[in-house]
Amino acid sequence: MSRPNTLPKVDIAERYRRPRGGISWFGVILGVLLGAAGGFAYTWFVNPVVEFDTQPWQLNDSARQQYIVAIMLEYDHTRDLDTAIERLTALRPQSDPIQEVADIACALATSGYTSTSSGLRAVRAMMTFYRLQERTGCADELILSNSVAPTAVVVIELPTPTLTPPVTKTPTVEAVALAGATPTLFVVPTAPAQSDFEVANIPTVCSQENPAVIEVNVVDFNGQGIPGQIVRVRWDGGESRFATGLKPERGAGYADFQMEPGMSYIVDMPGLSDPTQPLTATSCALESGDRSIIGYRVIFRTLG
Amino acid sequence: MVRFLVSFFVALLIGVGIGLYLGWVQFPAQFTNSDARALAPQYKDEYTVMIAAGYADDNDINGAVERLRILEVENVPAFVQEVTERYITNSRGVDEIQLLVALAEGMGRLTPIMEPYRQIRPAEGT
Repeated sequence: MSRPNTLPKVDIAERYRRPRGGISWFGVILGVLLGAAGGFAYTWFVNPVVEFDTQPWQLNDSARQQYIVAIMLEYDHTRDLDTAIERLTALRPQSDPIQEVADIACALATSGYTSTSSGLRAVRAMMTFYRLQERTGCADELILSNSVAPTAVVVIELPTPTLTPPVTKTPTVEAVALAGATPTLFVVPTAPAQSDFEVANIPTVCSQENPAVIEVNVVDFNGQGIPGQIVRVRWDGGESRFATGLKPERGAGYADFQMEPGMSYIVDMPGLSDPTQPLTATSCALESGDRSIIGYRVIFRTLG
Repeated sequence: MVRFLVSFFVALLIGVGIGLYLGWVQFPAQFTNSDARALAPQYKDEYTVMIAAGYADDNDINGAVERLRILEVENVPAFVQEVTERYITNSRGVDEIQLLVALAEGMGRLTPIMEPYRQIRPAEGT
C-alpha cells in the first residue's frame, strides 16, 4: 500500500470560480439603502425645496393671527359666514376655530392693537363673529361692542308741584301743612346721552414730518369747519383744552395736539361729544421702511 | 471584493437618485412656522382682498398698509395695483374688484383700467 504521489485533485477554490452573476446583491441592497437615505436626508435637511407655495395653515403664529383678522374683516364686510368658516377651517386649527378667533381677539384687546380705530373695528368684528356663534372671550370684558348699550334707568326723586288748596273760610291746618311736601317717586328711563357732536372718523397717519400729532377737525353736517369749539385731550394725570380755528391756514375747524410717545390719550368736546377710544402714540412704519410715531385725525361732526 | 464594491457604488448612486426624487418631488419637506411672505400667490391675493374689505369699512389707509406689510412686498401700493389689475384682466368677481379698486384708489394707484369699477365714496368728514 503505497501512498499516492499526489493528492486527489480537489480544487478548494473551485466553488468560488463557479460562474455566478456579476452582481453582489448584498452590495446592491446596502448601496441602495444608504444612497436613498443619504439622498432623502440631503433634500430635507441640507438642501430642501425652496419654500414658495405656502398655504395659510403653515403660517407662524403672528402671521396666522393677522390672517384671521383679515378673515374677520372680510366677514364683517360681507357677512358671509360660510366663506369665513371655510377660510378658518383651511387654517387647520388644533381646536375649535371659532374659539380660536375669540382667543385672538382677547390677545389683541390686551395689546395696543385696539388703540387705532382700524384695530378696534377689527376686534369688534371678531367679537361679533364669535358671539353670534355663542363663544366668549376676554375681549367681551375689555371692549364695548357695537351693540346698543342697555338703557340706563335713573331714579329721580322730584318734589310734587302740588297746587296750593284754595282758600276756604275754614282752612284746615293739616291741608296747608301737607301742601307741596309729598315727594313722589318718578322712574325716568333715559336714552343714551345726547350729544351735539359725534366722532365721525379717526384715521391714522404715519408721517415723518408730523409724528405723534392728534389733528382735530370739528365740522358741521356739510363738512365745513367750525371755529371756536373747545376740544379736550385727557391722559393719565393731565388734560389740555384748546379751541379750533387757531390755525386758520389748516382750516376753520382745525386744532392739533402733540402726543408723547407711548402715552394714551382720550379726545372729546366737553359736554358736546362722547370721548374717543384711547389713542396711543405707538410706533408705525413709513413707506420708506423707516419708523415714526403714529398720529390720528379725529373728526367731530355735528349730529343731525 | 471588487464585485461587492462595484455593486455597492452603483447601487449607491441609484439610491441617491431615488432619495433625491422622493425628497424633492414626491415627498418634499413641508414647512410650518412660515412667514406670510412665503404664501402662495393665490393666498396673497385673497389676503389682499380681505384687507380691502376692511378698508371699505373703516377707510383707514394706514391700517390697510400696515396689514399688508406682513406680505413683505417691496412696494405695497404697487402690489395692490398689480393685484387689482390682474383681477380685472382675469374677470374675477365684481365685488372683489370693487374692493380692490377702492383700496388702490386710497393708495393713489387708480389707473384707467380701474375707472369703470370705481365707486363713489362719501367725502371724509361729511
